[in-house]
Amino acid sequence: MTDITLTVNGEERTASVPPETTLLKMLREDLNLTGTKLGCDVGDCGACTVLVDGIAVNACLMLAGQANGKKIETIEGLSTMEEYHPIQKAFEEVAALQCGFCGPGMIMSTKAMIDQGDDLSKQDIRDALSGNLCRCTGYTKIIDGVIDAYEEITGKKVPEISPRAA
Amino acid sequence: MKPFDFVQPTTTDAVLAALVEHSSNVRILCGGTDYVVELKYVAQSPGVVVDVSRLEDLKGIELTDAGLRIGAGVTHSEIMADPLIAEHAPAMIDAAHTVGAVQTRNLGTLGGNLVTCVPSMDSGPTLLALDAQVTILGPKGTRQIDLSKFFVGVRKTALEPDELLLEVIIPKDNLGKPAGFIKFGLRKGQALALVNAASAFWVDDGKFKDVRIALGAVAPVVMRAIKAEAHLEGQAISLELIDEAAKLSIDEAKPIDDFRASKEYRNSLIEVGARRTLQAVLDLANG
Repeated sequence: MTDITLTVNGEERTASVPPETTLLKMLREDLNLTGTKLGCDVGDCGACTVLVDGIAVNACLMLAGQANGKKIETIEGLSTMEEYHPIQKAFEEVAALQCGFCGPGMIMSTKAMIDQGDDLSKQDIRDALSGNLCRCTGYTKIIDGVIDAYEEITGKKVPEISPRAA
Repeated sequence: MKPFDFVQPTTTDAVLAALVEHSSNVRILCGGTDYVVELKYVAQSPGVVVDVSRLEDLKGIELTDAGLRIGAGVTHSEIMADPLIAEHAPAMIDAAHTVGAVQTRNLGTLGGNLVTCVPSMDSGPTLLALDAQVTILGPKGTRQIDLSKFFVGVRKTALEPDELLLEVIIPKDNLGKPAGFIKFGLRKGQALALVNAASAFWVDDGKFKDVRIALGAVAPVVMRAIKAEAHLEGQAISLELIDEAAKLSIDEAKPIDDFRASKEYRNSLIEVGARRTLQAVLDLANG
């Protein structure tokens, strides 16, 4: 067993896990943070996306030992019972999600992208979300939600492009 | 996953010691985007997994006397954001951008991509086109070899079991050499290359000089199209010659037929990829 200490959503959390435990498994099964989803388990679908020291990663591809001592942000850290995070609010307003399984990963990828502080185009947004698969929506509403959240949080505008170029 | 022991050495010496101590019963882990997936499906435990993702010696991108040094543990995202690479070897950024998606580029490393040594690796062609070398650390010290000799077969490299890949070096003479990369996949994100290609050459007095054409996913290892290169070398620059060289590239490759693409389709992609990257180099060289 390996003792792992993480700062999860600002709170120090410790667990003793076997070395073959992924960060995803530790979050879900040892820390009871089941907002982060297990999808493909091979790094394709992005449902397990969390931020490690501010960077979006697939929690299914990282061993808990590799995350030891690092700062982890998960979907549970974004909202309180009283209030949604602006990204969640934007997703709700445009009905970005249907079944919702991809949502935590989509929202964490969106947060990482907005936190980086770069000016974003629609193409940048598509690129940053290309590691997050959604089987319900066809992505259009998700991109709309991301654009709204980005504009709300940063006060910037995503440049308009013609539908054909999009 | 089958149970294994996990160690996180803080020095390269400690990594080498672990490789010797556990000899055939040990594997190195860095970004994990390939190996952690493999660990989930292997029938037998690797015994000991040595995590090198935090080793400072594998980090960093800097100019040295030899050229541009990129630590084996540098991630694809770090390559994309690096000003030295943007200045001296920008085609590497185009190649890094086509790896997986954001999350896997944030974890996956250049060294891991090379050591994994799958035919469709996205870092290989550009590095071959720039005559990259690799530095390998073993019990007797370091040795440096051409990247072309590092690739031995599918998932097989020139690394001995007791050795560690330290860094990739773009030789000084090739810094700023005009180079282009292209990847053909079934979609933009999370795609394995059907074919990828990189080309590089200098324009010297209106002639092709030091021509390199490198192809991926068309043979067991990333390869150079030597005959096509020779067709251009020293000749006066012309688009007709580029077309001919692109066609010649097909003859040297041995693409497979599989569910992603037929052999015939891959052959077409080889020609198109070689032609487009050579044309891109010419555009760069002409400013």
